[in-house]
Amino acid sequence: MGRIQLKGVQKDFGKVTVIPPLDLEINEGEFVVFVGPSGCGKSTLLRLIAGLEDVTGGVIEIDGADATDQSPGKRGLAMVFQSYALYPHLTVAQNIAFPLRMAGLTRDEQARRIDNAADVLNLTDYLDRRPKQLSGGQRQRVAIGRAIVREPSAFLFDEPLSNLDAALRMGMRLEISELHKRLETTMIYVTHDQVEAMTMADKIVVLNAGVIEQVGSPLDLYDNPRNRFVAEFIGSPKMNIITGAHAEERQATSIGIRPEHLTISSGSGDWKGIVGISEHLGSDTFIRVDVAGVVDTMTVRAPGKLRLAAGDTVFLTPDMENLHRFDKTGLRIK
Amino acid sequence: MIDNSPEFRVKRGIGLTLMLVLLAFAAVPTLWVLILSFRAPMAIFQPIWESPLALTLDNFFKITRSNFPSALMNSFITAGLSTAFAMIVGVPAGFALAKARLSGKFVASWVLLLLRMAPPVGFVIPLFLLYVNAGLIDTYMGLVFAYMTLTLPLVTWSMWNSFAQVPDELIEAAIMDDANLMQAFLLIALPAARPGAVAAAILAFLVAWNDFFYALIITRSGTATAPVAVMNFISYDSVDWASIAVASIALTLPILPLMAIANRYIVQSLSGAVKG
Ligand SMILES: Nc1ncnc2c1ncn2[C@@H]1O[C@H](COP(=O)(O)OP(=O)(O)OP(=O)(O)O)[C@@H](O)[C@H]1O
Ligand SMILES: [Mg+2]
Repeated sequence: MGRIQLKGVQKDFGKVTVIPPLDLEINEGEFVVFVGPSGCGKSTLLRLIAGLEDVTGGVIEIDGADATDQSPGKRGLAMVFQSYALYPHLTVAQNIAFPLRMAGLTRDEQARRIDNAADVLNLTDYLDRRPKQLSGGQRQRVAIGRAIVREPSAFLFDEPLSNLDAALRMGMRLEISELHKRLETTMIYVTHDQVEAMTMADKIVVLNAGVIEQVGSPLDLYDNPRNRFVAEFIGSPKMNIITGAHAEERQATSIGIRPEHLTISSGSGDWKGIVGISEHLGSDTFIRVDVAGVVDTMTVRAPGKLRLAAGDTVFLTPDMENLHRFDKTGLRIK
Repeated sequence: MIDNSPEFRVKRGIGLTLMLVLLAFAAVPTLWVLILSFRAPMAIFQPIWESPLALTLDNFFKITRSNFPSALMNSFITAGLSTAFAMIVGVPAGFALAKARLSGKFVASWVLLLLRMAPPVGFVIPLFLLYVNAGLIDTYMGLVFAYMTLTLPLVTWSMWNSFAQVPDELIEAAIMDDANLMQAFLLIALPAARPGAVAAAILAFLVAWNDFFYALIITRSGTATAPVAVMNFISYDSVDWASIAVASIALTLPILPLMAIANRYIVQSLSGAVKG
């Protein structure tokens, strides 16, 4: 249960094509993350799968059956919204019970499932509260609780953590990952935070202007980006992109090198530069270096104890194994 | 911070005086009417200090023997029914206008606004002619229908606004939970917009309750509402001020609790009580 296939799915809003025909296959039990910049169509794609938007063209299959014209409630999918979308006039227990009520379950069965979900999500003490009386993290849990009691064949999350503060976000990230491990249910998760994508996903789908740029495992995308867009989008800090003479001498329009694939030395190396700002994170130091003939400041990852003053002259040497070359359309040259 | 500068005190003094003057404008006539209603008929035109004890309950007994109580009942029936019907039609209409992907919403908003702004005279003449032909003059149905030209646009318009404040995601969540549209509307959207709905119902009731013009034109003796019945206390040779005073109190009392509720809900619906 939980296999979702998109075949030539297209979405237009009026005359604007937001998603040109697209194919995608999501396997049973997979944790799939849609990432991409704001406005690239992640939410739209998720809503198409949910049935909250009608497709302009193409077919959506869930577990092998055509679900394109099925109403959202009948697709067996549960959604967790960015704003949580808790019913404000209902208590936590009633919120979680709502889908069960709609499904016509007996009161006993409802109570059993609510208790179970509350137990898993640490909500037992809050069952009689209203959403207004809960913290952001608790609301998020209620929203997840409302989704899991239905025992859906897949979960759809639309940026569920973006309203939480950084510490809470990290905790919830782990909780959702653990939930996935335990339930082994397909999860589709939308985010524009590539750290969330890297840490949670089995499979990342990188979207750009409604087009799938690449699909693959986090490390696959990291090590073998298909094009410059993916190379730049995945990884933090961003991959350094160099155009001009340094690229041309390697028969490419542009070359890319990640901060950790540059060696910094005060003696000698390939590229000479001047140290700018250093960011000390403790374990690592990210050093900005202005290299002659390179437009953007380059970022280098160095050990945490390295101390360089702004204005020092340094030399950078790229690790040739991990240097990516891109042609003029942005595709990576293998 | 407490500002004790003389300048501030002068400003505050002026402010307080202004407030008291305004309050007096509102309160003095009400008090006066209240006193009038207890005055013996001969004492009505005397200053209160000349005959402070000329007080009586006769005015109240007298009015119960007139046709005013039945007119009050007519007011209740027509204002109540026109509010109920306006809610039955206007609340779902407001929901549809707020949430459905419709073209022509812009036109709808103009039509509704026009209906709300247009003076009643514009409606009453065609309605009158229509009613004469349809035999609806002096009927509940006629008056209720006439009031709905006031209450329905009001309810639709304000519920449109109330439902617009209910997040789309709330309704989508219900739809995902396999609620049908009716369930999403009745179980989720409507409770979420409850303050707005209560406020709309009360405002609609008050509009109909306070109407004089429609009832004057459309009703005769059978279904005359209380504001029209007050006219009966004015005859060619005299004006029964005491009865008019009692009638105004009878017209005001029922709306006091409504005002209290409406006040609370209007504040709530303005401050956007709907938050996930
Ligand atoms: N109902 C709609 N009508 C018209 N255009 C829409 C509608 N919904 C979305 N769009 C457009 O479709 C595009 C994709 O929107 P979508 O919400 O899917 O982006 P997103 O990737 O989720 O962005 P974000 O990260 O900001 O949430 C945007 O350009 C948006 O303006
Ligand atoms: Mg989005």
